[in-house]
Amino acid sequence: MRRGLLFLIAAVLWLSSCTGRKAQDLSGVNCVEDFKGHSVAVAMGGSYDLMLSEMGGIDIIRLGVGELLVAVEKGRADFCIIDQYQAGMLNLESRGLEIKFKNILKGTAGAGFRKDDSLLCSQFNGYLMGIMASGEYDEWLDEWTSASDSMADASLLVPKHEKKPGGRPLHVGITITYPYLFLKENNLTGIEVDLFNRFCEKAGYPVDYEIYDFSALIPALNSGKIDVILSHMRMTEERSKQVLFSDAYIEGGGAAVCRSENGVTSCERAGIWSRIKESFNNNLVVERRWKLMADGLWVTIQISVLSIVAAVLAGIILCRLRMSRRRMVSSPTGLVIDLLRGIPLLVVLMLMFYVIFASSRITGTWVTVMSFGLYYGAYFSEVFRTGMESVERGQWEAGFALGLGKFQTFLKVALPQALSRIIPVLKGEVIALIKMTSVVGYVAVVDLTKASDIIRARTLDAFFPLILVSVVYIILAWLTGMGLKALENQLTPKSR
Amino acid sequence: MIKVRHLKKVFRTPGGDELTVLRDINCDIETGEVVSIIGPSGTGKSTLLRCLNRLEEPTSGVIEVDGKDILDHRTDINLIRRRMGMVFQNFNLFEHLTILDNLTLCPMTLLGKSREEAERRGLELLGTVGLHDKAGCLPRELSGGQKQRAAIARCLAMEPDIILFDEPTSALDPTMVSEVLAVIRHLANHGMTMCIVSHEMQFVRDVSTRILFLNDGIVYEEGTPEQIFENPRKPVTRAFINRIRTLESVFESRNFDLYGLFGKIHTFCNKYGLGTKVSDKVEHITEEMLCGIMPFCGPVKLTIEYSEKTSGLSMAFRQENTTENILDSTDEKSLSLMMVKGLSSSVNEPETGTVCVEI
Repeated sequence: MRRGLLFLIAAVLWLSSCTGRKAQDLSGVNCVEDFKGHSVAVAMGGSYDLMLSEMGGIDIIRLGVGELLVAVEKGRADFCIIDQYQAGMLNLESRGLEIKFKNILKGTAGAGFRKDDSLLCSQFNGYLMGIMASGEYDEWLDEWTSASDSMADASLLVPKHEKKPGGRPLHVGITITYPYLFLKENNLTGIEVDLFNRFCEKAGYPVDYEIYDFSALIPALNSGKIDVILSHMRMTEERSKQVLFSDAYIEGGGAAVCRSENGVTSCERAGIWSRIKESFNNNLVVERRWKLMADGLWVTIQISVLSIVAAVLAGIILCRLRMSRRRMVSSPTGLVIDLLRGIPLLVVLMLMFYVIFASSRITGTWVTVMSFGLYYGAYFSEVFRTGMESVERGQWEAGFALGLGKFQTFLKVALPQALSRIIPVLKGEVIALIKMTSVVGYVAVVDLTKASDIIRARTLDAFFPLILVSVVYIILAWLTGMGLKALENQLTPKSR
Repeated sequence: MIKVRHLKKVFRTPGGDELTVLRDINCDIETGEVVSIIGPSGTGKSTLLRCLNRLEEPTSGVIEVDGKDILDHRTDINLIRRRMGMVFQNFNLFEHLTILDNLTLCPMTLLGKSREEAERRGLELLGTVGLHDKAGCLPRELSGGQKQRAAIARCLAMEPDIILFDEPTSALDPTMVSEVLAVIRHLANHGMTMCIVSHEMQFVRDVSTRILFLNDGIVYEEGTPEQIFENPRKPVTRAFINRIRTLESVFESRNFDLYGLFGKIHTFCNKYGLGTKVSDKVEHITEEMLCGIMPFCGPVKLTIEYSEKTSGLSMAFRQENTTENILDSTDEKSLSLMMVKGLSSSVNEPETGTVCVEI
């Protein structure tokens, strides 16, 4: 026992020593080849990831876009690579960071289409050729690149796009990648968005943008969820096997960011309050980003409520079938419940979205509600069952003996007693469900968590959005707990 | 009022075996009667009672209530049950309702009574069972005896024609039995028709108008309390009423294990609280009888019977294969016989070969 404890402490110490890195001399690193022997943080599954992986000898740390700068800030990585346009726009100095060198790992990006959808692809290519010939292309690129560099008021550049009424819209899968595709004042804009909007306007397509994880774009395209990938996707050989790329329309390059050489940490430079104030401003106020959060919160609430309702209904049905006296009914139901409880929720959700409902145009929200309904229905049904079984046989018999029918006995005798035992257990499950809705970003639903991801991808500030989101979830859980507690009190029998 | 014909109930155990609890029950219960069902444990007394309101589904047979066959699926059993109250061993009060709400739930739901009306009647009934001031309590705040009285009041609230009592005092502390029995007695005195399964023999004897003795799945003996308790006609009834305990042994020859037998006798006497004096006496008599008097011209069977009711102890020594009267052929002056006579209150030989010794 004591030895085990010592071992545990030793293991924890060892692990924590691993996470903290010693500061290294980075002055000798001046090009991509010099990365060897250093740790470099890159966006998972992105083209920088692929390119650096091929080089070998580099300690690659794969993270979400929002965590890249933090990793360098906290010393977990020596460098991180982000888009050079984006790097130019961030106030890196205030975070104790600097751009070491840029214009690296260049590559061209294009729009991706389904392999069998060459018609749309050639239509898009035709459009590109047209504007390149007319000079509109150069105009467009100039306008954007100069605006990005000077961080001019990009609101001027918000595409004046209006949805064409009628017709099947093009479903376009995107990942928020500044400055190619991003949200400004809750409107989607960016270099590529602008280009594609121009194309759609010309070709007469209504368009519908859906926000996906970068790694989910190709599966979504191939399962028919989306028609086009527009996500500053570099055209690599590997991707070309699965995606039909258009002609290249933009060239992108990365910037290597590391800690400033003077080594002054931002904490020392600015007071903690002014830092929080700045974070608050950056993440919520600028471009009215709070609106994105508020919309995300509303989506989270909607999904939670609908999922709880669905789960309760599914739970009741599964519980009824499970408690059936007919073996032919109860055993298969038990098997289904065990199966559902045996698969991680995220996997259930992805299966539903990318496999079962792959070819249907059903939105991520409804797939989420169905998946959560089924998954938590399986949990709820077992809670209901134990609740019902905790009502003694004698209570039913007393009801029957007095002349109450089966349903009346259930309603007036068994149910009130079962409920007062079910609610406290259900409370935990319901709160777990609400928190679990944070995974719906995987199926292109912009909920609270996804909204914070989008903001983080833009501001590259991990701390503030995550703390804010945590607080909001805590409040949601607390309110739910209070509501259910009140219901529980209502149901607890009281003497008079 | 209730007519039961050829009622049979077979339980199926989870292992797939069949257990016949009721073989062929025939009985009647008339309005105004108090019928008690008694019998050894495991003879299906409770099962019979539960069949009467179909809490147990009978395997076959006929049960008629006021001329209606309740086993017919066209009969609305819920309507019949409204008029047949049932009091359970474990009270089964609705745990989530106050005592008064327990009493008013069914009259309001089923009889269409208004809340005021149901509550007025409920309080009145609680008054009769002495629980007026417990109306607002939850069942778990009451003692066992109070719970059972409340359960009886709940039955009465439905104004039933008959009440079935399923061992109403078995789950109670001895101190609480009498308060419940007093309530049942009160009901009997007011002419309520009742059918009672109980182990309280004195109570059953006092309160019943008729008694059914159940044994081996049939109504083994039936009669007034006097008949059953004073003059039971059949052996199992007698053994049950007098609470007779027996010890039996068979000996092939005179060379039996005497000390092994002494051990058995000692254990038997201890079990029924008879003390060493009595067990020494029984051992002495046994030794003299088996070693001195019994001729052993064949196996000898010893039966020791103790009645817990009368505290009488008797021993029977039965000699197989004899045509001679044992006591007659024994010398009057033999030491063994003199000792046996000295130790017992009477020694006789009611039939040839069987010597009965009363202590």
